[in-house]
Amino acid sequence: MSDFDRIFKKYHTSLFLYAQKFVRDEGIALDLVQDVFTAVWEKKIANKRAQSRKIANKRASNLFEALPGVSDLREAKKLVPDEEYLKAYLFQSVRNCCMNHLKHEKVVQKHREQQILSLTELQYYQSGEKSLIEKENLDQIWQAINSLSDIHREIIELSRFEGLKNKEIAERLKIPLRTVETRLFRALSALRTKLPGKTFIALFLFKFDKMIIR
Amino acid sequence: MGITDQERMIARYLNGELTGEDTAGLLRWINESAANRKLFVEIKDTWDAASKNKDRQDEQLLLFYKTQAEKKRKAGLPVWTALSSAAMLILALLFGVLRQETSSLTSQIESFTVPMGSRSNLILADGTKVNLNSGSSLVLDDQFSPQNRIVRLTGEGYFEVTADSRHPFTVKTDKFDVTVTGTKFNVSSYADDRNNSAALLEGKIRLRLDNQQEFVLEPGQKLSIDRLTRNTALEVADRVSEMAWVNGEFVFKEIPFPDLIRRLERWYDVKLVYPREAFDSMVYSGKFKNQETIWQVLDALKLTTPIDYRKRSFREFELIYRPM
Repeated sequence: MSDFDRIFKKYHTSLFLYAQKFVRDEGIALDLVQDVFTAVWEKKIANKRAQSRKIANKRASNLFEALPGVSDLREAKKLVPDEEYLKAYLFQSVRNCCMNHLKHEKVVQKHREQQILSLTELQYYQSGEKSLIEKENLDQIWQAINSLSDIHREIIELSRFEGLKNKEIAERLKIPLRTVETRLFRALSALRTKLPGKTFIALFLFKFDKMIIR
Repeated sequence: MGITDQERMIARYLNGELTGEDTAGLLRWINESAANRKLFVEIKDTWDAASKNKDRQDEQLLLFYKTQAEKKRKAGLPVWTALSSAAMLILALLFGVLRQETSSLTSQIESFTVPMGSRSNLILADGTKVNLNSGSSLVLDDQFSPQNRIVRLTGEGYFEVTADSRHPFTVKTDKFDVTVTGTKFNVSSYADDRNNSAALLEGKIRLRLDNQQEFVLEPGQKLSIDRLTRNTALEVADRVSEMAWVNGEFVFKEIPFPDLIRRLERWYDVKLVYPREAFDSMVYSGKFKNQETIWQVLDALKLTTPIDYRKRSFREFELIYRPM
């Protein structure tokens, strides 16, 4: 499997979820992520062509050399694994694409506040804060959900996995809508404390350990 | 605004149920202080991270991409440029992602695995088309080439073999081998099913059991093998139900309840628990289009059978016998 396929497999879902943070529409979010991967793919090909023209017998270029931003960063700090930079590059690109999308989208008046909320959130992440999706791997997040109390897990499953609206949850569980809303908020607060987000260092060392050998 | 009020407002916003006016209120509250903003962003972030995306399998995303592309094409939008790059991606994925397990261990053996809850298709080096059903895998012979066509299947696969009379194509399973020169046929060899089978749609196949018994099948015939007793039965193949899964449909004809449950489990990637004694004698026929959720399928079962169901945990349901 090539670098590209492996990277795609590894980050596609996370990037898609990340894009959906800011752009609610699933189709648009998928398109934006796909744009990023297409750009990476095209750069990879262009780079490969240029290289094979220049040096006949040199080994095939790889994804990390293909992206100028990434290789520059790598030059600067040789100790850090390529993949951390590639990952940062991917999330940054998705962020930028979402920002452009939100800015250029013709703002329908009634969605204005929603959009401002999305932009507020985006700016928050542009400032260097990291999202859970970016920090944790998705399995850890699911594990954390499983470790919640039954009541909290149930409400997250119904609203996130089954995609039910708060009203539908109220009907299914036969509890008042107010309770559903409060419970959902509390469940998310509980989940947040279970995901302390200090895994960055551990993750980082782990990756370093498994640095890709080409 | 009291504490529970903003909690509820955020909860409503997350589920997309906040009205325009209330959204403005929420926005005001968020901008009141950095602490408010932080709380909002963190809760929203947790919500985003706890997303569905049930199976998180890229094979599934691949299928999703394909249907997306199909939808766009049908809608007649001018997306050809976007589509060609999408096609490139899909091609890269089809030939790349599916081969995931190859490179790391042995460089020679290629294998393709389809997770529960999804299906996949691939084209082999000799042009043969293979559709793999949920929870199946196909391993190519380490010398696989257009001259040496041997594959090993676990689970279910539908094959459209490129005709080549000089180089037979062999599908090996743990109970029998199927040898052909160019045909369309379906092989079901799930190890957890009581019956395995090979059904022929076109051409001719030769089937050899692990006890060396041999059969030659004509088009429209199906050979079933009982995994325990090794009894065989030659039946008329039902073209529609043999092909249904390839077309993304879920069709079953007079199958025992335990078989239905196993198929549903594979198809939807769920676990279904039920009291065996109460259901084992029932036989089912039916058809779903795979647009249905597992909830809807279970609701449909509820209408026709004395069962009820409840969710036990993540992707696990319990069926309860409830005499009418």
